Amino acid sequence: MTGKPIIIEGNVWAITDADGNLYDSVDTDQIYHNQWLAVTDVAEMGKYAFGNLPGWEDFPSKAAPGDVIVTGANFGAGSSRQHAVDCFQALGIRLIIAASFGAIYRRNAINSGMPILTVLGVSAGDVATGENIKANLETGVVENLARGLTLTGEPWSDVQMDIYRAGDLFLYGRRGLQ
Amino acid sequence: MGKPFAEKIFSARAGRDVVPGEIITVEPDYVLSHDNTAAIAATFAKMGAEKVLHPERLVIVLDHCVPAADAKHAENHKKIREFVAEQGVEHFYDVGRGICHQVLPEEGFARPGRLILGSDSHTTTYGALGAFSAGIGRSEAAAIWATGEIWLMCPESVRMNMTGEFARGVGPKDLILSIIGDVGADGMLYKSVEFAGETMEVMSVAGHMVLANMSVEMGAKNGYVAPNDKTAEWLASRESAEYEAVYPDADASYESELEYDVTDLPPMVAKPHTVDNVAPVEEVVGTAVDQVVLGTCTNGREDDLEEAARILEDRTVASGCRLLVFPASREIWREAMKSGAFEAIEGAGGIIMNAGCGPCLGAHEGVLAPGEVCLSTANRNFKGRMGTPEAEIYLASPATAAATAVEGRIADPRGYL
Repeated sequence: MTGKPIIIEGNVWAITDADGNLYDSVDTDQIYHNQWLAVTDVAEMGKYAFGNLPGWEDFPSKAAPGDVIVTGANFGAGSSRQHAVDCFQALGIRLIIAASFGAIYRRNAINSGMPILTVLGVSAGDVATGENIKANLETGVVENLARGLTLTGEPWSDVQMDIYRAGDLFLYGRRGLQ
Repeated sequence: MGKPFAEKIFSARAGRDVVPGEIITVEPDYVLSHDNTAAIAATFAKMGAEKVLHPERLVIVLDHCVPAADAKHAENHKKIREFVAEQGVEHFYDVGRGICHQVLPEEGFARPGRLILGSDSHTTTYGALGAFSAGIGRSEAAAIWATGEIWLMCPESVRMNMTGEFARGVGPKDLILSIIGDVGADGMLYKSVEFAGETMEVMSVAGHMVLANMSVEMGAKNGYVAPNDKTAEWLASRESAEYEAVYPDADASYESELEYDVTDLPPMVAKPHTVDNVAPVEEVVGTAVDQVVLGTCTNGREDDLEEAARILEDRTVASGCRLLVFPASREIWREAMKSGAFEAIEGAGGIIMNAGCGPCLGAHEGVLAPGEVCLSTANRNFKGRMGTPEAEIYLASPATAAATAVEGRIADPRGYL
């Protein structure tokens, strides 16, 4: 229950488009295409992550466990498919930072214990692929260690922290009953 | 200062005063799942849960790939039927009954004042009947099955006031596309959106459903239409007449209020590859189209099929263009048989399919080839949504869809009505 880190440090993948800007409104079909929806084994979902996002189709072979994703606004817009969160869990992605998250995506991440952080207005000017960042989930503060730059994200809610500490929504709910 | 709908229903459920941003634990009245029930059941088992706490609160509708397109989907359906039997789930609707977002209203689950969560993003549809309804994910659905409850954060509310009367050939789909184009795909992120004003009073319940259904496409948590005479009439016809409606206070305070006058609204389209890439149909008139999809949970109701039939009657679908029709439910299928709508559509060369999601999410029954262009009355045109990422999808109203099928090119329906 106490093993979950509050401070996450990792190597960044800045999910940029052809113009070098962080992608906005990356939808659930771009994160995890519908042709793989019948897959039920989470471990198998990793290889399909970003499989339909132009320029990022080879992400699963590039990403390493412990890496951090940074992306633009409305990340995970669209469908309620949890595959779009699980595929990153499967790859060992430690944290997803976005300018904002799709409403259902945000809940899916929180409730399955995947750490996400909202940093309003985060842009490609703040952080680049390969840079190292340190994020504090409790305060929402993100430090770009390479540049000595600090970004202010939204601190986690108590429920988000409790679910994360418990492992997932079900473990959290069960703990509440004990 | 009074409260909007979301704060009213959250406060009622919590038994205390709830403000936006507050998190409460709720017991949903119903939890919807569809073909993804197989995956939810796997998660449920993996969590270590055995027995569904309230099997009577589960509503399971097979609609996403029905009848099964291949062995993998067939196996999932089989697992779901076994799960339904094991857990004693009484509200199970097998292949052929219809699309969940039409079946829940028809079967009386969606009513004013109810709290419904569903493992599908278009669960927002039931707000058209005055419910609070929102999409959730697989782990969330599994946890509700096990514990009967879940946390929800009370959203901020935005009110959209509609005035004016639609021009001929223009309707709710054009309005919601225009709104989404205006506010953007994340314009209403996490918000509770209330559709109000004089236009809503004359709009049919099917029209209300179009707006609520697509509110998720601007990021909204839920959409809501205050129950009115039309709602009451609709519910009475479904034997769903008993309910306790929750209305926003007359002096409710909203985060913002937006005004839309529909009087001069033209037919609208969403161009590839995002729902907020919206333009008047004039801008794309003449674009060659390989396939037209009429139906789905957005526009597969009687109003929609009859509107299309009026245009298709005594006309022919253009050569080289396929018109596929997906009624939202078996009931609607029968209605369209009786009303003559199917005769007109079939007579024009349209292909009438069974009630279900069809190719909307790329599963089967009309997925596209690379390089093809489709105009659809569905709610999403993401790159790759209907199969290959190398196809283009335009979204539009049933009238625009019918006119487009006749010409084989995107067409303005106003010349046909």
